[in-house]
Amino acid sequence: MWQTGGVSEEDKLTRAQARTILGRVFKMAEPFRKSMIIAFACVMVTTSATLSAPVIVRHGIDAGIRAKDIGALNLSVVLYLIVVTFTYVFGRLLFVFVNRTGESFLRVLRLAVFKQMQRQSMAFYDRNKAGVLVARMTADIESMSELVQWGLLQFLSAALMLVFSIVVLLFLSWQLTIVALLVMPVLVISSIKFQRDSNRAYLTVRERVGANLSALQEGITTVRVIQAYAQEDEVNRKFKISNRSLFAAHEKSVRISTWYFALVEFSGVLASALMIGIGGWFAHRGTVTLGTVVAFVLLLSSLFDPVQQLSQLYNTVQSAGAALNKLFSILDSKPEVDEHHSAVDLPQTGELKVSNLSFTYAGAENPALDNVSIKVGVGEKLALVGPTGAGKSTLAKLMARLYDPQTGKVEFGGVDLTMATMDSLRERIAVVPQEGFLFNGSIRDNLRIARANATDAEIEAAIDAIGATDHFAQFADGLDTEVRERGSRLSAGERQLVALARAALVDPAVLVLDEATSNLDPGTEAEVEHALERLMAGRTVIVVAHRLSTVQRADHIAVIADAKIAEFGSHSELLALNGHYAELARAWQKSHTVTS
Amino acid sequence: MSVSETDSEVSARLEFEQAQRSEGWKLLRGLLRDQRRNLLIGGLIGISWAAFKVAIPQVTKFAINDGIEKNGPLLKWALIITGLGVLTGILSGFRRYVAFRESRWAETLLRERLFGHVLGLNIGYHDKAQTGQLMSRASSDMMQIQGFIVMIPITLSNVIQIFAVAAILFVTDPILAIVAMAPLPFVNLSARRFSNRIHPASLAVQAEQAQLANVVEESVSGVRVVKGFGAEQVQFEKLKVEADDIFTESMKAAKIRSNFMPAIDVLPALGAVGVLGVGGHRVLSGQLSIGDLVAFNVYLTLLVWPLRNIGMIVALGQRAASALVRIHEVLSTNSSIVEPANPKSLPTGGGAQYGAVKFDHVQFGYDPTRPVLNNFNLAIAPGESIAVVGATGSGKSTVARLLLRFYDTDSGHVFLDGVDVRKLKLQELRQQIGVVFEDTVLFNDSVKANISFAKPNAAQADLERAAKLAGAHEFILQLPNGYDTVIGERGFSLSGGQRQRIAIARAIISDPRVLVLDDATSAVDPSKEGEIRDAMRTVMSGRTTIVIAHRPGTIALAQRVVFIDGSTIAAIGTHDELVATNTRYREVLANMQQKESADREPVVSSLAVK
Repeated sequence: MWQTGGVSEEDKLTRAQARTILGRVFKMAEPFRKSMIIAFACVMVTTSATLSAPVIVRHGIDAGIRAKDIGALNLSVVLYLIVVTFTYVFGRLLFVFVNRTGESFLRVLRLAVFKQMQRQSMAFYDRNKAGVLVARMTADIESMSELVQWGLLQFLSAALMLVFSIVVLLFLSWQLTIVALLVMPVLVISSIKFQRDSNRAYLTVRERVGANLSALQEGITTVRVIQAYAQEDEVNRKFKISNRSLFAAHEKSVRISTWYFALVEFSGVLASALMIGIGGWFAHRGTVTLGTVVAFVLLLSSLFDPVQQLSQLYNTVQSAGAALNKLFSILDSKPEVDEHHSAVDLPQTGELKVSNLSFTYAGAENPALDNVSIKVGVGEKLALVGPTGAGKSTLAKLMARLYDPQTGKVEFGGVDLTMATMDSLRERIAVVPQEGFLFNGSIRDNLRIARANATDAEIEAAIDAIGATDHFAQFADGLDTEVRERGSRLSAGERQLVALARAALVDPAVLVLDEATSNLDPGTEAEVEHALERLMAGRTVIVVAHRLSTVQRADHIAVIADAKIAEFGSHSELLALNGHYAELARAWQKSHTVTS
Repeated sequence: MSVSETDSEVSARLEFEQAQRSEGWKLLRGLLRDQRRNLLIGGLIGISWAAFKVAIPQVTKFAINDGIEKNGPLLKWALIITGLGVLTGILSGFRRYVAFRESRWAETLLRERLFGHVLGLNIGYHDKAQTGQLMSRASSDMMQIQGFIVMIPITLSNVIQIFAVAAILFVTDPILAIVAMAPLPFVNLSARRFSNRIHPASLAVQAEQAQLANVVEESVSGVRVVKGFGAEQVQFEKLKVEADDIFTESMKAAKIRSNFMPAIDVLPALGAVGVLGVGGHRVLSGQLSIGDLVAFNVYLTLLVWPLRNIGMIVALGQRAASALVRIHEVLSTNSSIVEPANPKSLPTGGGAQYGAVKFDHVQFGYDPTRPVLNNFNLAIAPGESIAVVGATGSGKSTVARLLLRFYDTDSGHVFLDGVDVRKLKLQELRQQIGVVFEDTVLFNDSVKANISFAKPNAAQADLERAAKLAGAHEFILQLPNGYDTVIGERGFSLSGGQRQRIAIARAIISDPRVLVLDDATSAVDPSKEGEIRDAMRTVMSGRTTIVIAHRPGTIALAQRVVFIDGSTIAAIGTHDELVATNTRYREVLANMQQKESADREPVVSSLAVK
């Protein structure tokens, strides 16, 4: 309740960074500037109203009660009531508008970051771990929602309150203001120290919570091994250590807040004591009135509360800043594969031609492809084979422009792929990854991934084109069957069928296949084979092959070894060559005949 | 809750929930009983804090009346107030400290208890339980309980504070007290309502956030599909829906906040207005001093937080109650594998070879109405190795699980060295059985800790002996930190074969009487299969071994083959005998072989997607 965020040393922002980020935030918030201004106005009104209350009470006491002026007293009461009403009405508006501004900002941020992530090429996804990207979109943005819900509001009103309080106090009596501020240095210094210590303590707690959860999870998921070796006691003992160290971290962080809150409470009372002592002396001398001293006693809390609040919010604000910094760095990363400003549509059909292509993965030392040239005519089937990491998958990906080459080019029908419109590129060339990756939703939704505006009839036609109509008709909900998370409701073979149907829906001129390495249940295996055959018919096909049967069906085989095309030709030609391919084919054949 | 509940069903359900809740509270009382001394101290500190806190405005009032108005001694009053400040400061710090420390301590102990209990529950329970659910019992439910316990001492002092302040106000001026305090019950009421309404609203926001996380997660994991089909826009539209939903739900929550928060802030101010108006007139008519009036205002502010907190604790208590019920549910589940009251021990000494295993008329089913093993009889001699062969789902792995007493038989008995496994202490039984699971589970710990898992105080020599037998010693020495290398740490991972050999070393370190090898080769690169089989052969020699064979190659390791078909033993003999005489055996074998060759084929050039 008193610690809602923390930021590690390396994530801490410099002053310049903070300024840039603030500037960008305001720029992003441009579309809802109106609600931002209203929110700010509401903060001003409620803060002033809250502060004017003690001033009115002072007036009531001095001008009304002490001067025995009933009219002045009644006026004060009425004013007070008006001020309270204002606080309430504007307080309500305040919540709505501050939240609207904040949530609108988070919404815009979510959309912008995701859009930018989607625009990135595969290289970006190679560089960034999936978990990290998901965390940016979830934990990092959510870490700001607390700030948006009430933190920002509190921050603003605390800051305003502090400034206004000092102004009001100065206006009432500069002498007493100095008295009131006497304890301020102690409070400020201890607040800064508290903020630092609690930040550190918070990071430790967070780290140990993580470790403790891991220990917990490991224990639960490995319970079979633990029981099989009768090591429950030992595992319990270890868990206890991690659990107790978490307790120690909690205890430490409570201890930090213990002295701080003690000091804060003491400072408040000490300020009252000083006010009575020194303020009373001023009153005796007639420098100030009694009402003014009373008002000061009452106003002291509006001076001290904001300092406390600001120091507690400081960590939250800092961690939000760190999160924003990371998010903006995603927004700033330029997509490597992007549509050229003068891009043209690819022709309906044509030869796929790779010339002098070289490609190196970011951070890799050696090129994945080194000066590769190859041609695939309309309707021809090319199989890419070779050892793991030799570059065959990379070549396939470049031929579909999932990456752009560093030198050389890939052309379709004479148009360089880097000059093609993205829409026409994805329509002509479809990539079917080895595992049928499905998204949450129905089978129909999963096909629409390939073409968002496809009609139901087109989807059914695509299913029919790969010969899977009967298979999916067996499902109670047919194509509307929900596949659940990652398609867990379907078998591996069925997921493949959906993936192939996607490609059929696009009806591309070129099909880039990454052949499945995993096994399917024998039943659907045949169906998938059949679907694949129908899908390949009449199309140019590039297949990263792992099976002899697939390779034998191809018109040409390219053996990729050490980033180069080592051998090129038909199955029989390459066998006759008695090189890499012949060796590979022998290994394949051998593995078919296993003896026990 | 079904729509067509009859009255008696409703009352039965309510009664059940009531009983559950009272069990939950009983659990809490039990937790707190052990800490009652510290909690009591916390309560006392809280009460003294409240007393001093309440005294301050009273003293301030005197100071104003006596010191300032009547030109009395100012220094005396200032010092008294400072002294009170020191006391309240210290007490307030300790009140917090005790409350947080005790609540964290209760949470810590309860988590350990829960963890220990879950670890001891029978495997049948774990088959059905979801890890995520158990995790949330031990994390978020614990948090709810801690959040409630922390409020207990604080609430205690708050209640005292409210009563003390109310008493002072009434003594000073009963009429003004009524005016001042009239709006305050609404503070409490609003805080309670607010807490009750905001909770489901926050849950709704969280649910929408989870949905957005799903879209992001699948877009990132499925990026090749997204890129391959140019589906960026489709995914963006999905995300937009979720982002909009978060916005809508968040604004609903904001609306609830705007309905309550300003009201909670403003209600005490209404009392203050009353105090100024009514009180002012009473001062004018001489019924009240100015000091009293000021003190009234200060006291009013002292009531606000305690009242809010009490409103909150009601809602927190409700949430803690449901968390307690859920935790109680786990803690009250007893393991169905019960230790015998008067355990027997295994025979030892006498130079005899041990490790005789016998299944006698065993019947067992995970679901008792559908037996997996039926009339299962098997005797394995000490030192003998047996391969258990059967089709997928035939129950071949079940045999080992029954021996380990992961499950109890529905009828019939399992004996180890002539003693019914149910008559043995679980620890004694399981220490005598070394298991290598099909899916090699290793811990995120050093190689050393993993191997010595079954024998935590094993000497380095034992460790190395086991590793050598398992053919793991060589490669372990090559690891960055040898035996101290931590498995699963960043930038370092073991191959499937290496993991297997560590698992084998772990199984034999305590020199068990029986070794169970649930086909250790199934997750291994074929070229490494030979190495694993060599290791298996070494550790099997001279030890009773049950090999659960998923691959034909593994069968050859055993002296005898037990073929399970139709939930019982269909044939026993050597591999060659069974091949020669049993058609069904040949079928199952052929099936295995086909699967295996399919498994192998891609390995020739297994594709690593960058």
